[in-house]
Amino acid sequence: MSLEAIRKDIDLVDSKILKLLNHRMELVLMANKFKVQIEDKEREKQLLERIKKTLADLIKPEFTERIYSEIIKESKKLQEKDYKLMAFQGEHGAFGEVASREWDSDLVTVPCTQFAEVFEGVKSGLYDYGIVPVENTLGGAVAEVNHLLINTELKVVGAVGLPIHLCLLAVPGTDHREIRRVYSHPQALSQSRNFLSRNRLDPVHYYDTAGAASMLAEERPKGAAAIANKLCAKLYHLEIVKENIEDLDKNMTRFFVLSKEGNKNEGDKTSIIFSTAHKAGTLFRVLEVFAKQDINLTRIESIPSDPGDYAFFLDFIGSDKDEKVQKVLVQAQEIAANFKVLGSYKERIVE
Amino acid sequence: MNSLKLTSINGEKNKRTVITVDNVKVGKDFVVIGGPCSVESEEQTLETARKVKEAGGDMLRGGAFKPRTSPYDFQGLGLQGLKILERAKKETGLPVVTEVTDPRDVSWVCEYADVLQIGTRNMQNYSLLKEVGKVNRPVLLKRGMYSTLKEWLNCAEYILAEGNPNVILCERGIRTHETYTRNTLDLSIVPSVKEVSHLPVIVDPSHGTGRLSLIESMSLASLAAGADGIMVEVHYRPEEALCDKDQAMPPEMFARLVKKLRILQSSMIGMNEQ
Repeated sequence: MSLEAIRKDIDLVDSKILKLLNHRMELVLMANKFKVQIEDKEREKQLLERIKKTLADLIKPEFTERIYSEIIKESKKLQEKDYKLMAFQGEHGAFGEVASREWDSDLVTVPCTQFAEVFEGVKSGLYDYGIVPVENTLGGAVAEVNHLLINTELKVVGAVGLPIHLCLLAVPGTDHREIRRVYSHPQALSQSRNFLSRNRLDPVHYYDTAGAASMLAEERPKGAAAIANKLCAKLYHLEIVKENIEDLDKNMTRFFVLSKEGNKNEGDKTSIIFSTAHKAGTLFRVLEVFAKQDINLTRIESIPSDPGDYAFFLDFIGSDKDEKVQKVLVQAQEIAANFKVLGSYKERIVE
Repeated sequence: MNSLKLTSINGEKNKRTVITVDNVKVGKDFVVIGGPCSVESEEQTLETARKVKEAGGDMLRGGAFKPRTSPYDFQGLGLQGLKILERAKKETGLPVVTEVTDPRDVSWVCEYADVLQIGTRNMQNYSLLKEVGKVNRPVLLKRGMYSTLKEWLNCAEYILAEGNPNVILCERGIRTHETYTRNTLDLSIVPSVKEVSHLPVIVDPSHGTGRLSLIESMSLASLAAGADGIMVEVHYRPEEALCDKDQAMPPEMFARLVKKLRILQSSMIGMNEQ
């Protein structure tokens, strides 16, 4: 092993340490939601005791204690700041995280494995907000998220329209001629099918775009690359082999920002969900109310709820604080069943 | 020239191939391609590209993969160079011509560049010719430094036979006993090509002469001889160029050259009808 190779490994270990440290801080902020006061002497004592007992040849107890008293100090400092947490599905660098930053860059983004975890976490108060993809230009409605929306008590307090641009990422120093396999989420792979076939690259399914980037950085498989966004290149120290490899450049994903409390700020768009009785013309009569008041509908989607039953998702221009909208909502509610206002909010379309 | 099924004119005297690259029509307009021998840095390429654009150039040249006489000379920036060229195009709008030297690079170069160049040393690299014959990008095929017209056109035939009809021939000088010039620019090949083939032909007076002082007159002569364009090496700071610095043209000189070419061009209007 050469000095250069050893140093490369050291760099790799360092980025793992920092990644884990960041994850620890995320947990610290989550723990804070359960604590009455920040300082907990008993827990600190237990923690230091436990760590001192963990055997590692080169790490002496005094050294661990020194490191950990610094970490605890920093953790408490972070807890004092009372950061607001935003949960997203996927690993760091996922499009949900990008959308979150576009909505409010001051929020601390916390990754979740499942969409249901995002919903539950926001409901339980673990996270202040959650961000979930509702629909995509190429892929249509995100079924799982829409189902969760039907049954949730959470409110929609914001929306983000995020253009989806994909990059081919590789470990720095990779010879582009040796790339054979490309890892990514099936959706991203299918959105760059032409690019892959032009360059004779084999698509390999992975559960998440950012996850594929993270795997690439850690495992460094030979002759491999990943498809993910630009942020992932930065987060995982990967090189962008080619930007904008998507076959269709007008691809957008729309995200909802969820919160336990409704939106207190101004909104210009409103989302509702309802179902209708199985009687001729009921859906038409609901829509008629909006047409008569000259309200522009921006999304209408039906999602199967029970066999034979559908939940209708309706987005329209206007706020539930407007008199005209309030009147329409009352009228529509009388005709529809299971009527629910998800919320009025501002939608940010990212260029 | 019986073997030239696709490149020869086959008795149709007025048959001419016109190759469209963005807004440029090679084979119809007189096309001026300028740019550095090799992409050395983002600043050097972008600044040179701006100057080429300002001067009225139609396309940008720049090498990312450089086949050099010595293995110890600068070999080019590779993929990094392609990314810089892509940025230069984004800023100036000039289509990019760049050399490809390895069949494994062909699809990648297509992702970044508008025209693929086959260099003089690779004119008879048949596996490379077959590879560029399969893509949907025009190919600029330089004449081998020892090659006859027939050999050259046979190489174009390889590309056409694979299904790519868009080949631009480029005369870049041949080896003779003359040592004053780097090569001997064979301008008689321009009307010769026109007699036997429908493919557009341009001239590279930078490599053809290797002398800065001769480039202007040879460019004008190329136009007069019926060439479809010229390709000139331009560098924003010739004295700092990492390759071919003796033939790199400073931007002001290039701007003057383009002006003179346009004057000559306008005075030639209607000449072919005489």
